[in-house]
Amino acid sequence: MEKAINKLVFSTVQTPDPGSAPRDGKFTRGEIEKGLKVFENGGGAKLFTHLNSCVHCGLCAESCIYYKTMGDDRYTPARKVDLVASVYRRYHTFAGKYMPLLVNARDLNEDTANEMVDLLFGACTMCGRCTMHCSIGVDIAYLVKTGRTMLSEMGMVPASLQSTVKAAVETGNNMGIPTPEFVDTLKWMEDELTDELNTKEALIPVDEKGKNVLYTLNPREPKFFPLSISAMAKIFYAAGESWTLSSNMYDITNYAYFSGNNEEARLIAKRMWDEMEALRCSTLVLAECGHGSRALRWESPNYLKKTFPFKVKTSVEIIADYLHDGKIKLDQEKFKEAVTLHDPCNLVRSGGICMEQRYILNEFIEDFREMTPHGIDNYCCGGGGRQLAMSEYNERRMKTAEVKAEQIRKTGAKVVVSPCHNCVDQLTQINFSFKLNVQIKTLAELVADAIIL
Amino acid sequence: MATLEIEGKAFEVDGDGFLTKPEMWNEDVAALFARFDGIAEMNEKHWAVVKLIRRTWEEKAMAPMVRVLCQETGLKLREIYELFPLGPARGACRVAGLPKPDGCV
Repeated sequence: MEKAINKLVFSTVQTPDPGSAPRDGKFTRGEIEKGLKVFENGGGAKLFTHLNSCVHCGLCAESCIYYKTMGDDRYTPARKVDLVASVYRRYHTFAGKYMPLLVNARDLNEDTANEMVDLLFGACTMCGRCTMHCSIGVDIAYLVKTGRTMLSEMGMVPASLQSTVKAAVETGNNMGIPTPEFVDTLKWMEDELTDELNTKEALIPVDEKGKNVLYTLNPREPKFFPLSISAMAKIFYAAGESWTLSSNMYDITNYAYFSGNNEEARLIAKRMWDEMEALRCSTLVLAECGHGSRALRWESPNYLKKTFPFKVKTSVEIIADYLHDGKIKLDQEKFKEAVTLHDPCNLVRSGGICMEQRYILNEFIEDFREMTPHGIDNYCCGGGGRQLAMSEYNERRMKTAEVKAEQIRKTGAKVVVSPCHNCVDQLTQINFSFKLNVQIKTLAELVADAIIL
Repeated sequence: MATLEIEGKAFEVDGDGFLTKPEMWNEDVAALFARFDGIAEMNEKHWAVVKLIRRTWEEKAMAPMVRVLCQETGLKLREIYELFPLGPARGACRVAGLPKPDGCV
């Protein structure tokens, strides 16, 4: 008998979920106006400059993992920019108003919006690599974000992404974890840690006021992957840090940043600011989460139109500080196997936190190997921009992952470390799908394993 | 939307391979989904995890915390990650026929 082949087959026809993209029915006049309003409320001079500047040189094409792996011109970043710019031209330029066909100006209608959903949500991780490669410095990722905001205003966010945002807005964390279950998990991790270290001092404090550090988490840690919580607790213990977690607001993620809904993004960020105030801590330390760090540290002052009344640091920076100040010591004999590093786009390319993780790894990893390219020119893992959540585009996501799989394979490393839980999940799937046979770890997990107490 | 074809049988799934109609699930489906993930034969430990996830989801409409999985099955965390190479969410929850959990999984 012929052996059946096991496979996942994607249907070419998208089945629309009610109330979400793609769209079958007609837009109302009001919906279109809400979408167009983004040009007026959006970014003023910055937005208009970037929308009008692309010279179609095509240098961005090769910088994009979608174009690189699929070779389809539609995926060229310039085409994504032009989609948003063509709508702008239609309503805001003389030629676009009166001779739209001549200048490729497009109505904001169902066809345009569906194409925008497909390309801006479904074929871009907003990694910003094209922005770095643009010959004239167009902020392409920002224009994609603007397009996403328009779609969000028109109720066109893909259902799988919106449900994650909805969970965060309604329950306070993006997985809808009930507080007692969260607290029980912390207690459990604390018991495991005190057993492992054989000391009653290595605690995981909850809701304590006036501590130096308020630490945050990605909800996937308490729900499914809590080893990174005890790893960070071990590092805090070793450094003699005064710290706490909050049971009320601990979720560092902010997926409204990716859905483009600025009001929801503001609401989520404000909760963290409020929690800092309530617990009167002095430094907010962000979990290993690329986009969450970006949304809180670099975007939230804009959302709230205020400067930070407290200090904000990523966990990468605080671990580097502890090492630099001699507060923790790492065993240089612990890891003999080759280790490589995946740079999360939001932390590295957007945030500029690039050398700290290398400083840490060089302190204790004997055989550290860089990917090519790396640092601010690194390729996205393919899971960014909330691709990881959008099942609708899974086939493309795993296709773009070929780039990262190849990069990892070429290093010959046995361990891949990345300071971002979203990247870690995508890398775990890459490891499985491309049979790389490596271990995937967060930075805190690697550091905690080597710490000398 | 997608179709998962395993050993000549076809299942309607989302783009991540999670059952579109969780009520279609039974133990044969679980065994097939596990084989798709490279788990040739589900052992007692696999079943303990999968059945607990399924029971919790039927009662509370959500997957259990991994703490509950460990404490009720007596398995260590690292064992659970070894049993399901794609992890508790993309691995075990999918084999248990749940819709894909929200969040970074």
